[in-house]
Amino acid sequence: MSAYLEVTHLDYNYPDGTPALFDINVSIGRQEFVALIGQNGSGKTTLSKCMNGLFKPTSGSVVVDGIDTRGKGVVKQLVTRIGYVFQNPDHQLFNDSVQKEIAYGPRNINLSANEVQARVDEAARVAGVAPELYATHPFFLPKGLRQRVAIASILALKPRTIIVDEPTTGQDMRQSVEVMEFLRSLWQAGHTIIIVTHEMSIVARYAQRAIALRGGRVLVDDTVRAVFSQPDLLKQTYVEPPQITRAAQRLDGLSRHDVLTVEEMQDAFRSAISAEASQG
Amino acid sequence: MTNAVVIKDLEWKYEHTTQFALRGINLEIPENTFLGIVGANEQGKTTLINSICGLIPHSFNGVYRGSVEIYGSPVLKMSGLEIATQVGLVFADPEAQFTAMTVEEELVFGLENTGYDLGKIKERLDWAVGVTMIGDLLDKSPYDISGGQKQRMAIACVLAMNPPIIIMDEPTSMIDPLGKQFIFDILRKLKDAGDRTIIVVEHNIEQLAPLADQLLLMQDGQIARMAPPAHFFDDLPNIVGSGVYPPEVTSFAYWLKQSGYVPPEQVLPNRFDEGVTLMQDALRNARDNR
Amino acid sequence: MATSAEAPGGVRAAKLRKTLLGYVPIESPFYRYHPVTRLIMFVFFGVVPIFIDMPEINFALVVCTILLLVWGQADLKRLRIYMPMIVTIAIFMFLVVILAPGNDPTFTPIHIGPLTIYYQPVYFTFASYWRLMAMLFGTILYFSTNRERDMLVALRSLKLPFLASYVVGFSIRAAGMFMEDFNTIREAEQARGLDKSALKLGDQVKLYVMYLVPLFSIALRRADEISHALFARGYNFTGRVGHGNKRSDYILTQYTMTGMDWLVIAVLMTLFVGAAVAEYGFGAFRLPHSPINILLHHLLGLGWPS
Repeated sequence: MSAYLEVTHLDYNYPDGTPALFDINVSIGRQEFVALIGQNGSGKTTLSKCMNGLFKPTSGSVVVDGIDTRGKGVVKQLVTRIGYVFQNPDHQLFNDSVQKEIAYGPRNINLSANEVQARVDEAARVAGVAPELYATHPFFLPKGLRQRVAIASILALKPRTIIVDEPTTGQDMRQSVEVMEFLRSLWQAGHTIIIVTHEMSIVARYAQRAIALRGGRVLVDDTVRAVFSQPDLLKQTYVEPPQITRAAQRLDGLSRHDVLTVEEMQDAFRSAISAEASQG
Repeated sequence: MTNAVVIKDLEWKYEHTTQFALRGINLEIPENTFLGIVGANEQGKTTLINSICGLIPHSFNGVYRGSVEIYGSPVLKMSGLEIATQVGLVFADPEAQFTAMTVEEELVFGLENTGYDLGKIKERLDWAVGVTMIGDLLDKSPYDISGGQKQRMAIACVLAMNPPIIIMDEPTSMIDPLGKQFIFDILRKLKDAGDRTIIVVEHNIEQLAPLADQLLLMQDGQIARMAPPAHFFDDLPNIVGSGVYPPEVTSFAYWLKQSGYVPPEQVLPNRFDEGVTLMQDALRNARDNR
Repeated sequence: MATSAEAPGGVRAAKLRKTLLGYVPIESPFYRYHPVTRLIMFVFFGVVPIFIDMPEINFALVVCTILLLVWGQADLKRLRIYMPMIVTIAIFMFLVVILAPGNDPTFTPIHIGPLTIYYQPVYFTFASYWRLMAMLFGTILYFSTNRERDMLVALRSLKLPFLASYVVGFSIRAAGMFMEDFNTIREAEQARGLDKSALKLGDQVKLYVMYLVPLFSIALRRADEISHALFARGYNFTGRVGHGNKRSDYILTQYTMTGMDWLVIAVLMTLFVGAAVAEYGFGAFRLPHSPINILLHHLLGLGWPS
């Protein structure tokens, strides 16, 4: 697995001098689906902002596809490699029409008018923004659609890696599933997806790898299954595995205790019974 | 039993919209019970509680039919202050409700509006601060504390007013897991005290169901279902179809029932420990029966 | 893979208190004084320079405020953010007076190479600059060591009506939220490939116009929420409660004035009145009394200044 994003001995202090991250070492490859988890103040969002160069390392380095985020004039190079979707769509919609909004990024990287339009159409299609909405002012769209426009505006830059801060906050279950299925399809198409989230059932269902942070340090970095198998460790950063995972960990007589979803639990239940049957 | 809230044939349409946001709502909430409201977004959950706390029709324009009564008084005829002393409202976004520069000022803001004397204010303040565990935050700015602390402060503000009815609109949707746990701990304390009517809108059914006396499902501006948590999920596919996901142990117990591992008369659990017990028993029985 | 079980706690102990413009330690000596005392100190340092033309005294006032900041354990490094403002004001003022000195035959021309400057307007500008600096540092002193709460308590102690102090507080708060939103929006723009360092001035101006879209939409949504919150809390903007009684004011009872407060207020008031009387009664702080001015007059062979 070749690293696409390499974080090495990263320390980060806020502008007021408060230290936020200590000696972070994380390496993320092409086409991974990673969740950053941990209680508030653990440094998840700060780390995600260091990853895409919004925050510059106080010491150590962040290198994206060979580009050091501390370099001069790297903004345009970085945005085509790593995109960042903010939690509140209202902060990232500053144009007076959906069309201009999605075209904003491609224009910034000086693409030709034809190429810009092609990018807009493609990003809007992938994100589920209908062309009939192009002329609408983003302010008047419902929140779910504003979020889609925000994602489309990042997709139009075709970044290989996309960071999404709290993709499901304020959404109901059905909307959360929709957003996550969409991110999964991007992942399957070859993108690396990094989500910052508190929803462990979402992590269990969609992410492959989880990085738990605590007090600005990496507490554990492993597959989601392995991370959720250490509930006592996770307690240190106030993260609880999904309910069904915790239930499975408490059951006697299961052949495996690391289930992540209700469907996996059903399989584990069936195989526990049939294993018993074949023995008896 | 006295009813804290009685809603009769309520219909409401916001101005500039074509559809009624609430249709044919009839609801009685007995005094000192806990009502959990669930449902997908845009189905009328917030509109329903806004009509109980008087924001509808006092702060919104639209078409209002039917009646909402709080302890027998129609909300339509009560003043904002009269309602505020009866119904306390906690919003999803704690930032929206700040009016002051420090946590302490924020807490006394509502009390000062009621015109209590200073001794009474101090007494209320201390009690609310104790229940919500925010004693160490009093001189901080509401903007320098974490989201969970903000929400606890918002709840303390409402508790300080000591209203007989407390309504919370997705109180945990914007905060981290530790903060969420604190909020549910506070709700548990309030429920156990048993001297208040509590109405909570919440997506986190896992935590909500074990607290609620009744669960109410809003769908398309109507009350689609209302039942005690033990029977609320009996028709589980329909609940899922409405965009609401039951606790995972409940979903699994439903599967056990459908697959014949537990008897059809089995009541579906919604608490984690009940769920684990049922799963363990089912596993043991299934293996013994082989 | 990495696992560290003994990472230090995620909670950082608060040693600093956030003020309007910076941070000061919680145990800063400033907090021994009542907010009213601190507000009066602000009025003193902010207004007294109006009475004083002599740059020496205004310079001394600047030194005083810096010493007070040091005494109050404020972070002096934060003063650096005002450097561009301090320098820009100086450049602007001196450029104007050198390029457009006015036309008065009593002015004394000084020739520096091909350039001719006039002594009197330049010295007057020099004096005005220090007066401005004294006022600026007085303001910085107050806002770096006081929080919104302190200001509101002071205003309410001085019997400003609740609604007025609420509006003052709300404006400060709105400004704070505005800055926070503004920062996030700038980050969001950078995340979309905007490299500000590569922009021409005209484009930068356009950029600021663009920020207005999200700032306004956020403000509109928030205004709604805040008015709902006020309704839910039973507030009606008259400062009266249900039965026509006045609102009680609990917070004010949490602060008491001490002997030191009264002493400091007395000293500041005396100095303030003294300065006003000395200036308007006797012209004590006018430029003809400025030692530097007198010295320069003699060096230029102009005799005593008038």
